[in-house]
Order: sequence, then structure tokens, then C-alpha cells
Amino acid sequence: MDLRGNPDLQQRLAAEFALGTLRGRARRRLQRWIAQESALADAVRDWELRLAPLAAAAIPVQPPARVWRAIEERLEGGRSATPPGLWANLAFWRNLGLVASGVAAGLLVAIGVIAPKAPDPAPQPVVVRVPSSEMAASYLAVLADPKTQKPMLIVSAGRSSNELWVKTLDPAAHVPDRSLELWALPAGQPPKSLGVVPRSEKMTALKLVAAADQAFAEVAALAVSLEPPGGSPTGAPTGPVLYTGAFLKYW
Amino acid sequence: MGADPLVALLGACAHGDRTAFEQLYRQTSAKLFGIALRIVRQEGLAEDVLQECYIRIWNRAGDYREGLAAPMTWMASIVRNRSLDWLRRANPEVIDVDGEIIEGVASDGPGPLAALEQSRDGAALARCLGELESKQRQAILLAFHGGLSHSELAAQLRQPLGTVKTWVRRGLARLKTCLGKA
Repeated sequence: MDLRGNPDLQQRLAAEFALGTLRGRARRRLQRWIAQESALADAVRDWELRLAPLAAAAIPVQPPARVWRAIEERLEGGRSATPPGLWANLAFWRNLGLVASGVAAGLLVAIGVIAPKAPDPAPQPVVVRVPSSEMAASYLAVLADPKTQKPMLIVSAGRSSNELWVKTLDPAAHVPDRSLELWALPAGQPPKSLGVVPRSEKMTALKLVAAADQAFAEVAALAVSLEPPGGSPTGAPTGPVLYTGAFLKYW
Repeated sequence: MGADPLVALLGACAHGDRTAFEQLYRQTSAKLFGIALRIVRQEGLAEDVLQECYIRIWNRAGDYREGLAAPMTWMASIVRNRSLDWLRRANPEVIDVDGEIIEGVASDGPGPLAALEQSRDGAALARCLGELESKQRQAILLAFHGGLSHSELAAQLRQPLGTVKTWVRRGLARLKTCLGKA
């Protein structure tokens, strides 16, 4: 069946899908087509919108309290299944070898005091392009998994540039339904968010608030933490540290 | 129309705000449970669907786009789709009729359409449904609310399968034309 050249058929199938009359194999097959064919996906969405008032008019039925408890348990479970928070583990920071007790102290401040402040959403990536191949005076970090030593991300910035380039080396670096957030670890201060790590495997730029040599003057290391989708809700790291690396001046 | 408070709650969920998520649940779960229950018609299964859908809503709150659909529409479509995915009836030809729902819709009284007219979009849809032939309207409402397949519709309405399919198809086409003019 040639769906692509047949808008009438697309409309009909989209309508039947949204209405809910397709079952079993027919439904699954159409779901695959929807994933491949954006015109069909749009048609389904339009039909869902047309019929939405019917759903909204459905008679409400209070679900038993156990449903919410189960949802909460699953969310908590997802959290405790991740490794215990390295952020709170002082030995980890000493082992980084780059930072003195100042950062650890700053970290305690970050966790204990700064975390509950008003949400400060992470900045979003802005552009995707390939930077020039010549290696100018730059900052450079390779972030690795501390357990396996496997390099996961490369981060770089021109010395006086306002852009920080991020590249995912291993697609497995990312965690489904969670965001990775990149942090600068300035000596004696709490971690500063540099933004959410883009899922792209291309070089992607994050905007810096200042030129790199100002923004990173005191920064000897970078780290990536696991966060809810979109990044930390608090402006401070909330999840475990997944990857770390020294941040080096290359000039 | 004022801003939908659910938009802000979803936005907060996208940033990991669990309190907002609980509020969202409190404000929407009865409606969504009603939707799931009508389609899967089994309380335990409907509870599983609801749980699954809220985890999905939490994880995907960042994907919600205000310009495309109202929050309730977005969430209802997640629940409807999940319910239909999970629908496994031992024998699809024998409907375990939930008398009240089916009778309410099938009686073709003012009930289901009157409920629609409470919202602005709903009023347009109600008007257009009202312009359909009653057998077309009945088939569409039964399919939508009860999650009935073509063959279940045919059994329910005691009509040949081909006839019911035609009612649904023509009814949907007329509905689209009518809503397009609205």
C-alpha cells in the first residue's frame, strides 16, 4: 500500500487511528508508519485535536490512592537505582586530585544552601556547526567515566571565545529520559552550570556568559551530572556525577 | 480565555519539580482514569495504564508544546493511545458491555453532546456531530468512548461489518469538512 502518494488514505487511516477503531496488528503497523511519515503523524495529531473535546467530556472517575503511591515509588526507585550521589562524597573530590578542600566545602554549600533556591533552568544549546580544524589557543577537557576510565565527551573553547564546544564520543554516555548537565568546578566555589549536554553526536556549542579565559580563569575541572529532563531544577547539581575530567589550557 | 494553569505545571515537571507533578496528578487523574477505564473496562488494567501514563508524562513533560495542544488534550491522547495499546480482549466479538456507558451513548439522547458544549471547541464539535446522520454519530461516539473496534461496533449495533465501516468513514469525513468550516 503506497501511503506516501495517497493523502486520502492517510487521512482515513489517521482518523481511524485517532478514533481508536484499529486494533492489534493493524494498529501497530500504523504506529510504525506514523514514526516514519511526518505527514501521517501530523494528520493523526490533527484528528486527535479534532476529537479532543470528546475525551475532555469523559466522566471523571477518582482512581484509588494506590495508583499515586505506585507512581511515587517508581520515581523514587528510578532515583535510588542510580549510583549514590558522588556530589556528597568528599573522598571523590579529593581523588580528583585537582581541587583542594575549598571545592568540597563549596560543594557542601551548593548542596545544603543553594540547592533549594528558585529554579534556574539550564541554558539551551544554540548552534550546530563544525569548528575550523586548526587548533588555536584553547581550553580542552576529556570527560571520562571514573569507574571505567572510558572517555565519553570532549569539551573545548577558544581562549577568548564565548562558545563552548561539546561532542559526545560515546552515544552510551546519554541516559534515556534524563538530561546530562555540564558543570564547571571553580576552586573554592560551588559548581556552575554550563548547560545541558546536547544529545547530538555532532559538535554543538553552548553559549558562555563571558569569554572563556574569564569564565574559566579559576576552573580546573569539569563534571557531568545526571539530571531530570531539561537539566537541574535548582541551579545546583541534583543527581550523581557520571563523568569528570581536568580542564586544561592548551597554549 | 485565561492561561491554562496546567501549562505551568507541565513546565515545572519538565524541570523536575515533583510538587508540581503531584498537583498535576491531583488535578487531572480523575479525568484520565475515566478515559482509561472506559476503554480498557477493567479497573486493574486501567490503574496500570494510568500509572504508566503518568510516568510517561513526567518523563516527557519537556516535549509538551503549548502551541500544538492544550495540556489536557496532550495527556488524554497519551492515555487513549496507551489504553488502546494495552487492550487485549479474550474474544473481541463478545463485548463485556459496560451497560451504562454504552447505553448512554447508544441511546442517542442529548447526554453525550450536552456534556461537550461546555467548552468552546466542544461546542463546534457537538454542532458538527449533530449534523451527522444518527447512525454515523452513534458509531463514532461508541468507538471513541468505548474503545470499540470495527467488529465490536458491528456486533454492538447488530449490523454487517462493511456497513459499520462505511458509517464510520463517512461520518469522519463529514465531521472534518464541518469542523474545517467552523
